[in-house]
Amino acid sequence: MTPAWILDVFAAIMLVVAAVSAARLVAARPWLRGAVITDTDISHLLVGIAMAGMLAPGLTTLPNGAWAVVFGVLTVWFGQRVVRDYQASGARALAVGHCAPHLVHSAAMLYMFLAITAPASSGGPGMAGMSGMSGMSTLSYPTLAFVFALILVGYTIWDLDQLSSLRHGLAAAVAGGAAPALAGAPAGTLGLKTVAGSVAGGGVAAGAPTGSGEAGHAGTAGGGRPGVMATAILDSPGTVVSCRIAMGVTMALMLFLMI
Amino acid sequence: MTDVAVAGNRTAWRGRLGTEPVAARPPLDARRALQLALASIWLLDGVLQYQGFMFTKGFNQILAGTADGNPAIIAKPITWDATLIDHHMVLLNAIFATIQLLLGLGIAFRPTARIALAASILWSLGVWWLGEGLGGVLNGAASPLNGAPGAVILYALLAVLLWPADREVPAPFAAARAVGTHVARALWAALWLSLAYFALTPANRAPQGASAMIAGMESGEPVWLQDLQKGAASLVANQGLATSVVLAVTLTLIALGVYLPAGVAKATQVLAIVVAALIWVFAEALGGILAGGATDVNSGPLLALLALAYWPQRTVPAAPAAMPVVSGQPLVSEGGA
Repeated sequence: MTPAWILDVFAAIMLVVAAVSAARLVAARPWLRGAVITDTDISHLLVGIAMAGMLAPGLTTLPNGAWAVVFGVLTVWFGQRVVRDYQASGARALAVGHCAPHLVHSAAMLYMFLAITAPASSGGPGMAGMSGMSGMSTLSYPTLAFVFALILVGYTIWDLDQLSSLRHGLAAAVAGGAAPALAGAPAGTLGLKTVAGSVAGGGVAAGAPTGSGEAGHAGTAGGGRPGVMATAILDSPGTVVSCRIAMGVTMALMLFLMI
Repeated sequence: MTDVAVAGNRTAWRGRLGTEPVAARPPLDARRALQLALASIWLLDGVLQYQGFMFTKGFNQILAGTADGNPAIIAKPITWDATLIDHHMVLLNAIFATIQLLLGLGIAFRPTARIALAASILWSLGVWWLGEGLGGVLNGAASPLNGAPGAVILYALLAVLLWPADREVPAPFAAARAVGTHVARALWAALWLSLAYFALTPANRAPQGASAMIAGMESGEPVWLQDLQKGAASLVANQGLATSVVLAVTLTLIALGVYLPAGVAKATQVLAIVVAALIWVFAEALGGILAGGATDVNSGPLLALLALAYWPQRTVPAAPAAMPVVSGQPLVSEGGA
């Protein structure tokens, strides 16, 4: 059986992903007018919690049925987003859009919660039923698990390549980003626009129209003051993609452990 | 990126400036694409290495078993390694899995691609010896149907051929860029001719050689895969010699294909991919992954990847030293796209 401490390490990584996503959601200050909440942050938060619960038997969250409903909704949501992206951009949307990998994540989670066969020793409902993931629980239709794992690994590698090729990681946000962003930003503000500008300073231009929703994040940084760097890191695309990479690897691991 | 915008009493989904840019990405050349495929396989291997079976005596027994039939100079280090792992099973296997995971991630991350490829060569050579007993090359157990000459040595070969340097520009195929056309062709021919040779060894041309090998992979596989394998096993039952001869001729044709004109070479590359796929599905049972306990994907996908690295191209321009990022191109808002 896979040692519990290894699963705990991956569970801890998932909790970090969930915490980062929660922080991003809080930083968006959804209680204010015009605040912006991203669907990926919501997805990361839920997936992070659910996976941590699957990996660490001590973490009891929701019953499997409830999680199945949650990820069913997310699958439908990202599914319709992928269809819209496909209609707008064609097949390229599957490779470069953010919705397709999230659709795979959500669908893989849904599959896991529906296909898992609880270990014989597990009597209770909920995530505790997966406490034997390191050796007792298995998945029905293992071929599907294999296919999901292959796609997850593929997206993970693709994300990592794109992350490094665009130089929009944490280093870009911290090293190359803060100063130019501050220089170009109106006094007292540092939001998504300026963070994106900082990425542009690192070599990638940003010119997309910015919605009014940006203001929700723009006010969160309190530019030029302590916390700017933390906010820049939090808002960095590298943070989002890093979370997705961590989730992809962990999810593939879970699928193989339960084949 | 899609957002929920909460404005007063209204909630709306809309796009905003994407934090995950979808445009202005550098072009992906053939060699980089192949590197990413190699990275994916390393990542898969790393994840597979965390499976519960790898932390049991069963895994160690497999390692120790590869010493059988090898010369003492090869076998003794294998036995020593297996004993060491037996004493520190959990720690060492966790390290092995993590190393392979990092190799995959390292190759995919451009700043570390070079060092990760170099490390993967060293790691592959070590595993080929201490983990696979040189793939059975010296003890007569090697067969193209069971992963000869050892799947892991193919990782090293790919890392060499996909090394991010340009010795020859323009090159006729991606694999020639780093080592030159002559060396790349020689490596290709040596690999596939060696497979042809292994196909004709006494054990493999025995009447039930191929059939028994295929049937031996059925255990624990899903029903659909078992059915495929049963069909294949019955097809070659008592046809060991004929199977070996057909396989050897096919593999020889593939080996020589890189020396033929581009049109014919493409046909032999397609043949190589088809053969690799057939081996992977029918003889290797998708690497045994679906049965649990597989340490890697086995040789099928790697042979196919190699074939793609030799796919004839008109010209393969030299890659710039550092991948430029297009400046001035607008990022596309994902939600708004």
